[in-house]
Amino acid sequence: MAGVELLSDQGYRLDGRKATELRKVQARMGVFAQADGSAYIEQGNTKALAVVYGPHEVRMSRSKTLHDRAVINCQYSMATFSTAERKRRPHGDRKSTEMSLHLKQTFEAAVLTNLYPRSQIDIYVKILQSDGGNYSACVNAATLAVIDAGIPMRDYVCACTAGFVDETPLADLCHAEESGGGTSLALALLPRGGHIALLQMDARLHQDHLETLMEAAMTACKGVSKVLDQVVRQHLQEVSALTGE
Amino acid sequence: MIKTEKVLHLKSSRGRKVRVVREHYLRELVPCYSSLCQAECANEGKVLSADVTHYVVPDAGVTRDFMEILEFREIQGLVFTQTACQAVQHSRGRRQYNRLRSLLKDPRHDCVLFANEFQEYSYCPREKGEPQDKWQTRCVYQAAVWYHDHLAGLKPVVMITEDQGAVAEYSSLNCGVYVLSTLEYLRTFWPELQAAHELYGSIAQALRERGNEGTEREFAEHLPAEVLEAGIKSGRYTQGTLNVNKHRAQHEAFVRFDGSSNKNSELDSDVLVWGGKNRNRAVHGDMVAVELLPKGEWRGRTTALTEGQGEEKGEESQGQPMPTGRVVGILQRNWRDYVVTFPPREETQSQGRNSLRILATPWDQRIPKIRISTHQADTLQDHRVIVRLDSWDSTSLYPNGHSVRVLGRAGELETEVQTILIENCIHIAPFSEAQLREMPASSPERPWTVDPAEVVTRRDLRDTHLVFSIDPRGCEDVDDTLSVRSLPPGPQGPRLELGVHIADVTHFVKEGTLTDLEARARATTYYLADRRYDMLPAVLSADVCSLLGGVDRYAMSVMWDLDAQTLQVNRVWYGRTLIRSSYQLYYEQAQALLNGEESIEKTMEDHKLSHLIEALETLTQVARHLRAQRDQGGALELEGVEVRAQLDEDKNITALVPRQPLEVHETVAECMIYANHWVARKIQERFPQQALLRHHPPPRQEFFTQLQDSARALGFTIDTRSNKALADSLDQAVDPQDPLVNRLLRVMATQAMSNALYFSTGACPVDQYYHYGLALDRYTHFTSPIRRYADVIVHRLLTAAIAVEEGARPAKASASNKELEEMAQHINNKNRAAQHAQKVSMELFQCLYFRDKDPETAECCDAVIYAIRTNGVLVFIPQYGLKGALYLRNREGQVVRVSQDGRCVWEAGSLQRSLDHVSTTTASGTSTFRLFQHVTVRVSVQTSRCHADTLHLELVSNRAHRAPEPPDRTPRAAPPQGTRGRSQLVQEVVRQAEEALLQAEEKKGRVSELSKEEREFRQSKTPNLYSLLEEVREQALLDLTACGAVGGGPDLGTAARPCATSA
Repeated sequence: MAGVELLSDQGYRLDGRKATELRKVQARMGVFAQADGSAYIEQGNTKALAVVYGPHEVRMSRSKTLHDRAVINCQYSMATFSTAERKRRPHGDRKSTEMSLHLKQTFEAAVLTNLYPRSQIDIYVKILQSDGGNYSACVNAATLAVIDAGIPMRDYVCACTAGFVDETPLADLCHAEESGGGTSLALALLPRGGHIALLQMDARLHQDHLETLMEAAMTACKGVSKVLDQVVRQHLQEVSALTGE
Repeated sequence: MIKTEKVLHLKSSRGRKVRVVREHYLRELVPCYSSLCQAECANEGKVLSADVTHYVVPDAGVTRDFMEILEFREIQGLVFTQTACQAVQHSRGRRQYNRLRSLLKDPRHDCVLFANEFQEYSYCPREKGEPQDKWQTRCVYQAAVWYHDHLAGLKPVVMITEDQGAVAEYSSLNCGVYVLSTLEYLRTFWPELQAAHELYGSIAQALRERGNEGTEREFAEHLPAEVLEAGIKSGRYTQGTLNVNKHRAQHEAFVRFDGSSNKNSELDSDVLVWGGKNRNRAVHGDMVAVELLPKGEWRGRTTALTEGQGEEKGEESQGQPMPTGRVVGILQRNWRDYVVTFPPREETQSQGRNSLRILATPWDQRIPKIRISTHQADTLQDHRVIVRLDSWDSTSLYPNGHSVRVLGRAGELETEVQTILIENCIHIAPFSEAQLREMPASSPERPWTVDPAEVVTRRDLRDTHLVFSIDPRGCEDVDDTLSVRSLPPGPQGPRLELGVHIADVTHFVKEGTLTDLEARARATTYYLADRRYDMLPAVLSADVCSLLGGVDRYAMSVMWDLDAQTLQVNRVWYGRTLIRSSYQLYYEQAQALLNGEESIEKTMEDHKLSHLIEALETLTQVARHLRAQRDQGGALELEGVEVRAQLDEDKNITALVPRQPLEVHETVAECMIYANHWVARKIQERFPQQALLRHHPPPRQEFFTQLQDSARALGFTIDTRSNKALADSLDQAVDPQDPLVNRLLRVMATQAMSNALYFSTGACPVDQYYHYGLALDRYTHFTSPIRRYADVIVHRLLTAAIAVEEGARPAKASASNKELEEMAQHINNKNRAAQHAQKVSMELFQCLYFRDKDPETAECCDAVIYAIRTNGVLVFIPQYGLKGALYLRNREGQVVRVSQDGRCVWEAGSLQRSLDHVSTTTASGTSTFRLFQHVTVRVSVQTSRCHADTLHLELVSNRAHRAPEPPDRTPRAAPPQGTRGRSQLVQEVVRQAEEALLQAEEKKGRVSELSKEEREFRQSKTPNLYSLLEEVREQALLDLTACGAVGGGPDLGTAARPCATSA
């Protein structure tokens, strides 16, 4: 019925952002010592943890081994306490399987897998708190973790969502906006070349609007990439300062 | 990137308490929208003026409860806080919130919204355990303080609140920020604004009363919104709009579904809601959810006619049982302003307090009585007052309301006209100073002249084209002119150039100006029986825009390059022009010129006159051809009952005169339809997503039942499968003895039509663009921008389309599909209101006309029976264009018996109804009344204190009334029926012949000239839909629903629809 007003007449969204503004992004790399690479990211209230193991030899069935490149194995999961209502989330439900597959596709496009034939790279991502844009938080966290693991990539993979309300594209939707019933488009981008690693849209959208929406999502992804770049550089400085001593 | 801050919110959903964490971003730069701003805020759009004494900030409670006071245009410098707006949205729902939004958007109101909760320093988080209203008040105060500091203390800021605690707490904290209660504020700053004080008193009273209600439950509680939503989704409940039967307002109401939401496929009709308990506090027009009752409890609709305030009798005649249900919840209240009449003193009951609670009766019979608390009961008795509804609790039998404004004493003409306006939601204030300042200057001494700079940009037709206009006599706002001339022959043969030149209103009314906004709000010119309310100020509508004869005017033109023989379109030119109309003709004059009666204009020079006559003849020919083309496509020829009231200087009615159609009406109408059609094609092609068109959806087949039944009684069959079939079968349904039969059948067909509506092309699939009545695939309104806002929009679209084609990008992006669709809805609503108001005002004047006559000596008139009910018949009086119910059984159960000489007497007896006749049986004999039988009736007025007066018909004789009309009273009455019938017959034959001819000729590829005889015979053709609207302009009556409305139950299908078709 009377849906909430996602974009006020003054151009404010529910949480006080303007249409093109992103949520606050905070990230840290190297949060676990045991893993090869790890990262933690907060996009607004969405919090994700990513861990990367590898490259190592293929531990799954032998038959999956590829002779010219590495296998990427992704696993996505959500914590029981990640949403407003506590809910047990068993492994391998449809939603997380789908999300794992999306992540896998994204990173197969970005990681230089042909450098590691006959090997495997594991990426595990867990959503600690979910507030919209789970996929993009996962991608961003995993990017940082892969970088932390020292695995070469073509570029950062940055992801962001965009929605469409009142003929205006909104960048980086929060949970309230996502569940408002409008269109939501998730985009993973390799920002330097402008290559799209993954594009996903669920609801209906008039084709005339697709271009503006893509444009908005790309701008948002580039914004995210700047933040990630900063995080990586800062992390590198810290690490080098430590080893220098 | 902008700094962020996070806040916790607690929220519950689905009944369970859930903790939800929401982000909340704050920023330093939130625009203040004040012209005094020192900090260079990004103030775009509306800003508060600097020349007010203070700024006022209402808190959440005041905004919620007293918004009506804040809507006064006198109160300036209003700053609404975001906190208050959200409170309104939460507690009062979307409707109230939208009202606030439109207030904020309206440039005529000096008010802005300050997003205080997103401002870093004016935001205060809610503390643990703090009640919500306290927190809201604190937020608003904080915002007021920030606002004051932000403007560097240049303006004192007043915060108004109803919370006395807040007044005490905050008033002395900051200098420059005052905290007052609303009453105190009004007293201090607006002592002279009496209306606001009264409104305040009445609202406050209503609020106070609301607290102390009884506890006894009168109605079942409504279900909560989530349950309703789930129920509608699962198909358990059905969603629809409640329509109360006007004649049985206490008992009968129907719920009509919006097509899409109907999940229950077996429910294709309306659902009956019987009785007050089942209706459960829903008011006419509300969007409700209904639950169907078990089949055993289903009832039929009542088919008997009820007399005015007739009491319900035990024994009820019912139709077939139909789905019956009860209201379980209300999704959207649709309350508007209602006009009520205060009862005289003896009926008011005192409640023992110092104030009185009064049950006032609304003017609209479909609305229940409203309980009002007021001190002014004595002074207001027998006055009509505007009230608004506040609430309707389950413990109360009647809704609570408060009075807003007093209109005047009931029964006075001015009061009644105002009542009609209010009841149709038409609010018209005189044009303001600021709006008039935008107008170009023009006075009798110094008339407005064209701008030489503008002349260069336009195509100059002053010397090349003979332009003339044909309008009703005495018309001031001439918005369409015509021209026709022959062009040098092309490769295919001789060519014609037909031009339609429309007043260029958009040149003067630029988008977004105050005049434009006012015109948009009015949407149309309102024509009442005795007055009119213009859409545009008089200087535009009657002078500068009006295409008067002999002066230079700007125009927007469509010109067709036609083949003179086949009338194939070679080329169409659209653009802005400069014209000088040579002749300003009126219809009768033009017709006389066509007929060769040259006595009219002696002043015209001979050679020019011959040019004009030549042009008129060509035009007539072209129009006939176009009409024949459309007839082939299936255009309908429909009939409305048109009567106009002739008024003398004192606005007393001297006569009710039926309109007489002329062929030239149709010629002009046809050219206009052609222009509209081509413009529609053009803008639709250029803006496939956002063009404003007009469509006429095909009618629902079940509405044709009455027409088919009536026609069957006479042995005609009406084929309603398509508009072509309908038009053809209507043409064949002619009774040579009685020409009225065909007319009545056409009226019934008109009633079955749905309304033609404006829409935006993006909101509708292409196959729904079709105009059923006119049989055109694209149609819009282009030709009357002076009196219709839709035409103004279309002009702008056309201008933009031309600009795009010439390569220049339009200065501003045209409105989006969504905005346009909203606009189309708005215009549709306003048009409906305008038509309804016009109809009601005409009824008012009809009543005045008959009231002034002596009821005893009032002469009788002829009437035709056109529908049968269980206790009476519905009749049509051709002389006055009236429709009404005629009772054959009175309240005592007596029935009418017709004696040998045709006189009628009341006697005890019984009544029998069958499909095509009704017969009364008494001890002394049986009399039968058949469909389409002529009877004689006497008309009298039934006065009513609370509602509009109604006309009452009484059967005098069962024979046709033969007395000749006194010639002096109705000088322009219709010609005697017999001749008319003959000419109609001739006309049908001629037209069929012509169509056949045309088809034959199309095969051969040539068209011969129509013979002169044919032209003469065709001239009494009945008017089509377009010319009906032209009549409207002459303040004639477009009364298409009256017969359905009087009929009561059985034909609710038509009665429930507010107005009938028009092109």
